[in-house]
Order: sequence, then structure tokens, then C-alpha cells
Amino acid sequence: MTHTLTRRMLCLSTALLTVAALAPGLAGEAKADEAPIKLGIVAPMSGPNARYGAFSMHGAELAVKEINDAGGVNGHKIELYNADSQGTPVEGVSATRRLIDQDEVDFVIGDVSSSVTLAMQPVAEDAGVLLLNAASSNPKITYGAGVGGFKWTYRNYPTDENRAYVVAKYAAEERGFTKFAVLSVDSDYGRSAIEFTKKYLPEFKGEILSEDYYKEGEVDFRSVLAKIRDGGAQAIIMYGLADTTPIIARQMVELGLAGKVTLVGNGEFNTEKTIASAPTALEGAVEAAAWLPAWDSPESKAFVEKFTTTYNEAPNNHAYVHWDTVNLLAAAVREAGSVEREAVRDALSKIKYKSPVGEVTFDDHNQARLPMILLQIEDGKPSIKGAFTADIQYPAN
Amino acid sequence: MVSTLIEQIVNGIVTGSVYAIVAVGMTMIFGVLRAINFAHGEYYMLGTFGAWFAIDYLGLSYEASIVVGILSTIVIAYVVGQLVMRRMVGAPAESGVLATLGIALVLQNTVILVFGGGYKFFSGGYIEPVSILGFSLAEQRVLILVVCLLVFIGLELMVTHSRMGKAMRAVSQNVECCEVVGIDVPQVVLRTFILGAALAALSGVLTAPVNVSVYGGMGELITFKTLPIIIMGGLGNVRGTFFAAMILGIAESLVATYVGLQYRDTVGFATLILMLMWRPHGLFSTQARF
Repeated sequence: MTHTLTRRMLCLSTALLTVAALAPGLAGEAKADEAPIKLGIVAPMSGPNARYGAFSMHGAELAVKEINDAGGVNGHKIELYNADSQGTPVEGVSATRRLIDQDEVDFVIGDVSSSVTLAMQPVAEDAGVLLLNAASSNPKITYGAGVGGFKWTYRNYPTDENRAYVVAKYAAEERGFTKFAVLSVDSDYGRSAIEFTKKYLPEFKGEILSEDYYKEGEVDFRSVLAKIRDGGAQAIIMYGLADTTPIIARQMVELGLAGKVTLVGNGEFNTEKTIASAPTALEGAVEAAAWLPAWDSPESKAFVEKFTTTYNEAPNNHAYVHWDTVNLLAAAVREAGSVEREAVRDALSKIKYKSPVGEVTFDDHNQARLPMILLQIEDGKPSIKGAFTADIQYPAN
Repeated sequence: MVSTLIEQIVNGIVTGSVYAIVAVGMTMIFGVLRAINFAHGEYYMLGTFGAWFAIDYLGLSYEASIVVGILSTIVIAYVVGQLVMRRMVGAPAESGVLATLGIALVLQNTVILVFGGGYKFFSGGYIEPVSILGFSLAEQRVLILVVCLLVFIGLELMVTHSRMGKAMRAVSQNVECCEVVGIDVPQVVLRTFILGAALAALSGVLTAPVNVSVYGGMGELITFKTLPIIIMGGLGNVRGTFFAAMILGIAESLVATYVGLQYRDTVGFATLILMLMWRPHGLFSTQARF
């Protein structure tokens, strides 16, 4: 009895599965008059970096909406799929696989976190899907791309190496700092930024007095800040997470570091909320970012306005880079005159794309040549000190 | 040098106070149920969210938000207690683990669904620094320290003198005998659970001003910090939990200063392993439970 039942169930479920497997194919055929451009976004939609993910999605959605409203790219509409990486490599890899295997996307933009992007690279490479990174800054990603290995990885974002150099130079030459303490996030992003800071700091006669890394979700910085205060550092080099910056800034006030020790690096020091959390601690802070809302160009200003009216909140760096990268992809498809992955990839290698921060071209490591924008907090407001480009010296391999 | 050391010990005691208030609830629940409440950190998170909601959406003051945070957690704990916790009396240990882990997932993801996964900014509290014995501390931290001491004095009195406290001790010692003499065991379990959850919420509301960020996943970290504390304190032992929390707080603070911040999270379990090698029954004998 049990046997017959099980067999019947098996037959039934097989039949159901077959129908289920066929259904999406039928639905897809029915509506496609001009093949859509299937674009997947991998971003941290939950977990400690969920804010980055929300901004990234909004930026990408806005760009897709603008492009589709204008009739698509050569008549092809963009279909957007998203997958949650939770900011961890494990989830990022399965999110990427889901997009490739189930949603059958041809192009993936992702992730924000460098650790996740590094894990996604081989997945995209095996599937022959174009991975266009918009927001990870670890240099290893493009050290290992193009002539370095992964043919399907491209990055439209400046690297930590570029950033570390620009920040170290400004802190030493313009501000006259020589004694630094390190307090960065314990991740591929935080650690590599410090690695490159160490590479360039001796050029500017700077020395590092102490070195600490915090875990995501850390809330107690009193011990390490007291150590920094007693060590006599003039500035804290911080490549951190935006959500942790207000916590550190407040504890700097608590321990009497505000106004005596300056934050330099990156971690959204310049948003209104962060500055409001501890104005005295952030005064004079120096930050290098790929983009910021105050950047003075008509396209950039138009983006800020459109984003703010659509989402009732000002865009951040991640919103911008995802918006810009979707536009870059559309430009590559236009250039290629095709939605075929290979054609788009080849077009990307040769593209001369006009972005709001300047013309973008890719080098032989599939790395975009982009400037870093340097700003300083003055009277509670970010003030732009200029955009700097540094050529990347790839290690011989 | 010496002053740095003293300052770090003070920091450790403040951190320890936060852990202690959360852990004592967890240890009392273990006492009556013989089950580790893996959802305990979620009540810490719920309390913080309640307070944040009161400030950001209802425009209440920080003082009022403390009440809102704790009361809303009590309501949720009552529902969870009625539906889940009181059924766990006499149930095998693995059902407790599964049930509480399940509750943790449900509570955490409900909050993320309702309020979104991003970090919220907690704006209330007394964050101005004050100087005590030459050390600079936020007023809020002094408050945490004082509340922690009051909570522990109150709990000591409760478990030794009040009827409910005596019932709790009785249930933790022998469930069958309690039933024989007419103690309503599920009721005691429910009340202990609500008290524990309310204490976790109190700890969350008190720490929110200095931790600034409020988010759905914040409870997880707390659960895993409290776990070694209650084991070190001798599962179910109120006084032991207090000292274990202080030891962990101070040890973390010293490691963060002299070894490196990145090693901070390893302290809890490393201390636990060392302690279990030396005293497998916890720092304080299990005889001294409650």
C-alpha cells in the first residue's frame, strides 16, 4: 500500500515539475518581441551592510527606469533581477548562481563588499557571464582580471590603492600629519587600504603608531580610542563602514579626542546624519570617495535631484556608482549593437564612456581609469578639495 | 601606564554591566526550563527597536521610550511565552534549542520586514561626557552601571524573599516536587521568561544611545556574547552571572587595548575554554544556583 502511494506521488510530482519547468519558458516566449537585456544585481539587501544594498538597488532601478522610459537600448528593454548577498562571500556566491541559473541573466553588477566580489569572480567566469563591478575597491579584483586572469570581470570603480595614495599624500602634505593610528574594518577592503597606505606613507615621512581592525557590528571602541589618545597620534586612518562611523565619532567625543585627532580615509564621513551625530569629532575629517552628492557637474546634479525626488532621500556613493554602471552597460550594448555577451564585453574594453566624473576607459586589467574625489569637512559641511587620478602599478605576474 | 590600566578596567566594568543585565535573564530562564534561550538577544533588539520607534515615530522623550521599549517587549514575550516557552516544561533539550532558534529567526526577520534591514540612528539618551576620577565617560554609561547594580540587588532580594523568587528556585531544583506541592510550574516558567526578556530589553534601551546604530541583526551578537557568560557563571546562577559578565567585560577591554581590537570577539569563548579546563562546573559551584 505504502509502495503504490509513494510511486503515485512520484509520478505526480514528476509531472508537476515538468510543467513547472516549462512554464517560465512559455511565459518568456510569449512577451519577448525584442529580446530583453537581463541584468542581475548582487547587493547586500540584509545584514550589517543592508543600507549599501538599498542605495545600490535604488541607483540601478533609477537608471533602468530612465533607460526603459526612453525606449530601451536599441529597442531592448532592461529587465532587472536582484539577489541578496547579505554582505558575505558564501551568500554572494549562491546569489550569483541563482541569478545565472534561475533568472538566466547575461550581465551581473555586484557586489559592494570586496570580499564578496572576489568570491563571485570565478562563478561569473565559469558561466561566461559579464561581471561588472560598481563599488568594490580591493585592488586584487582587477589584479586578477583581464590580462591577469578573469576575462569576464570588469570594474567601474577606483581602487583602494588609488585612494590610499591620495589620502596619505593630502594628509601629509596639506595637513602636515606625521603620526597616524590605524582603525579600520577587518575585511578585504579595510585591510588592503591599510596595506597600500603603508606602501606610500614612508614617501611622506608618516609613521603608524598603532594598528587595530574592528569586526562588522562592533560597538565598543573606548579601549582602542583611549590607546590612540595616549599614543599621541595626530590622525586616525580609518577605512571603515558607514554605519560604524557615527559610533566611533561619538566615542571620540566621549573620550575627549574630538578636535584633537582627525579622521582620514573613507567611511561616509560626509553625510549629514554622520556629521550631525558628532560634529566636533568630524570637523576637519578628510575623505576620498569615488563620488559625492556635492560633485559639481550638470549630469551629477541632475542625478541627485532625480534620485531625491524619487526616493525622498539624497543618494550616496553606492547609489551613484550603480546608476552610473547601468548607464555604462547600456552604452556598451549600444556600442556593440548587440545584446550578445561577447560583443558587449569587447565593446566595454574599447569604450570611451562619458561619465559625470570624466571620461572612462578600461585598461588591460579591465579596470576603469577613474579619479578619486577628495573632500574635507569644514564647518559641518563637506568641501571638495579636488579630483585626483593615480596610475595603478600592477605587480608582475 | 597605571592610569590606562585602571581606565580600561572601568571600561570593562561598563561593558560587563550591559552583558550582565542581558545574561541574568538568560540564566534564570535556563534555571527554570533547563533550556538555553537562543532568542535572548532578540529581546534586547526588540527593546531597542521599541525605544527607537517611540522616539522617531511617536516623538517621545528618551525616558518615555525606555518604558515603550520594555512594555512592547513584555507583550511580545507574553505571546511567545504562552505559545512556546510554557510548552517546553519537561520537553527534551533539543526541542528547546530548535524552538528558541526558530523564534530568533522569526523575530529578527519580522523586524527586518517591517522596518527594513538598514541601520537606524538612535538619537535619544545622555551622551554628554562627564569626568569621574579623571576618566571621561558618557553620562549614559554611568547610568548603565547604576542600573546594573540596582537590577542585581533587586534580583537577589527577589529570589531569596519574594514568593515568586522562591517558586523560581523551587522549579529550578525539582519540577516534579513543585507539581506535588501545588506550584503552577508553567506559570512560573512564563513569568521568569517575561522577566528575563524585559531585562534584556532594558539592557538594549540603555545601551542604544552609546551604540547609536539599531538594526534587525543586532541581537545575534549579544546572544553569542552572553552564552559563555552564563556557562562561566554556572548556568542558572544569578550572582555567578554578575561576576562572569564583569570578568568577560574587563578581559575584552584589556585584550582590545593590549592585543588588538580584532581579537576582542575571541575573548569570550577563549576564556570559557580556559575556565572549563580549570573548573568544569562553572566558576561558582552549581550548589549556589540562584
